[in-house]
Amino acid sequence: MTDPIASPTELSDQETLAAELVLGLLGGEDLLRARGMLARDPAFSADVARWEDYFAPLLEQWEDHAPPPAVWKRIEAATASGSDNTAPVVDLDSLRKSRDRWRFIGGFSVAAAAALALVLLTGPAIQQAAPVPTADAPLLAANIPIGETPLRLALTYVPGREELSVSSAGLTPDGVHDHELWLVDRQGDLHSLGVIVPGGEARFAVAADLASEFGAGTRLVLTREPLGGKPADAAAGPVVAEGVFQVI
Amino acid sequence: MNDDDATLAREALRADIARLAKGDRAALEPIYRATSAKLFGICFRILGDDREAEDALQDVYIDLWKRADRYDPSRASPISWLACMARNRAVDRLRAGGKVRAGAVAEDAASDVPDGELPADAKLELDERDAGIHHCLGKLEKRQRGAIRRAFFGGATYVQLAEDDDVPLSTVKSRVHRGLAALKKCIERL
Repeated sequence: MTDPIASPTELSDQETLAAELVLGLLGGEDLLRARGMLARDPAFSADVARWEDYFAPLLEQWEDHAPPPAVWKRIEAATASGSDNTAPVVDLDSLRKSRDRWRFIGGFSVAAAAALALVLLTGPAIQQAAPVPTADAPLLAANIPIGETPLRLALTYVPGREELSVSSAGLTPDGVHDHELWLVDRQGDLHSLGVIVPGGEARFAVAADLASEFGAGTRLVLTREPLGGKPADAAAGPVVAEGVFQVI
Repeated sequence: MNDDDATLAREALRADIARLAKGDRAALEPIYRATSAKLFGICFRILGDDREAEDALQDVYIDLWKRADRYDPSRASPISWLACMARNRAVDRLRAGGKVRAGAVAEDAASDVPDGELPADAKLELDERDAGIHHCLGKLEKRQRGAIRRAFFGGATYVQLAEDDDVPLSTVKSRVHRGLAALKKCIERL
């Protein structure tokens, strides 16, 4: 046994958060907050960079392992066209500006859910979306639970088709709000997938440059917006539900 | 590779990432040539599966193409930045596949990180920077070290660490916090 280091100095909350982000310890709101700070706060991103530099030698010690040539071909194809990164994105920051909004998620009540007028799905019709293009690209599905209610939104994505089907069967509009579906990319930025059409199956076209972000584990959030979806000049509305794509 | 070559390679990589950030897609290929074996090694080590590692590697370079502008050229090592990206994508896949079980994948992946001090001959093979994290992790109290390793190599979150160790979340958090504080102090003292 080695001797533990005696009485370490305390880290600041920010330094601790930076290390927790690098180690991947965070979840939920803490993770979103940290990603937001990474995007906007140079002091925090310097802390993150420092922790990455501390830990990276643990990764770099491992033996090199040459990937098969097919991997480069796939990367080349994926970056070849329509991949300019000019598509508008909404920084998740805009959702975090009000802490109250985030509290709203945590405190989501059955009554609030009822106000959304989302009605329980009887059975997401997600299995018929064949054919599966390749073994490399399995079907993805997400069931997004709404707050603490039994309400769910069912999503299916067929890779290769660049189309997302959204089942909201039974959902009725409340006449005041719409709900907009967003994909959270790996950097924590939001990309609008479309406004939910209450009461049926909708198909959203997915921009080619966004298709590579769809995968197992990809996060989705639903925000409450004015009718028609988020106005271009406004911050996104409160997040009312979140989900994750899984391979089916 | 001697020190001069290593410096040249690092500068070339930094320049290629800067080109990529400006939208020059041709810069991706030299970056891939210079780094893919290293990053694939990382993905493979964490995921333990060629197919999964290939997918993770693909994600890394597509991410890089889209977000090369997020690289801060003042950072000491572009390869460290890329190594962490590879680790993150690999861990994302571990999580998506439901494979995060501390004590299984995590400990296997971390198996060559010694519990205590490195043997003297192993130390010689590591440069100063490498020795820093190895030495300092080895100095941590065992449970602190275990928690940090399981997170970094195996993708365990606080919630999973608490469940696996059957302790309250607050216990695991303060254990990790103390470990991180000790780690930083140790690394900066070297």
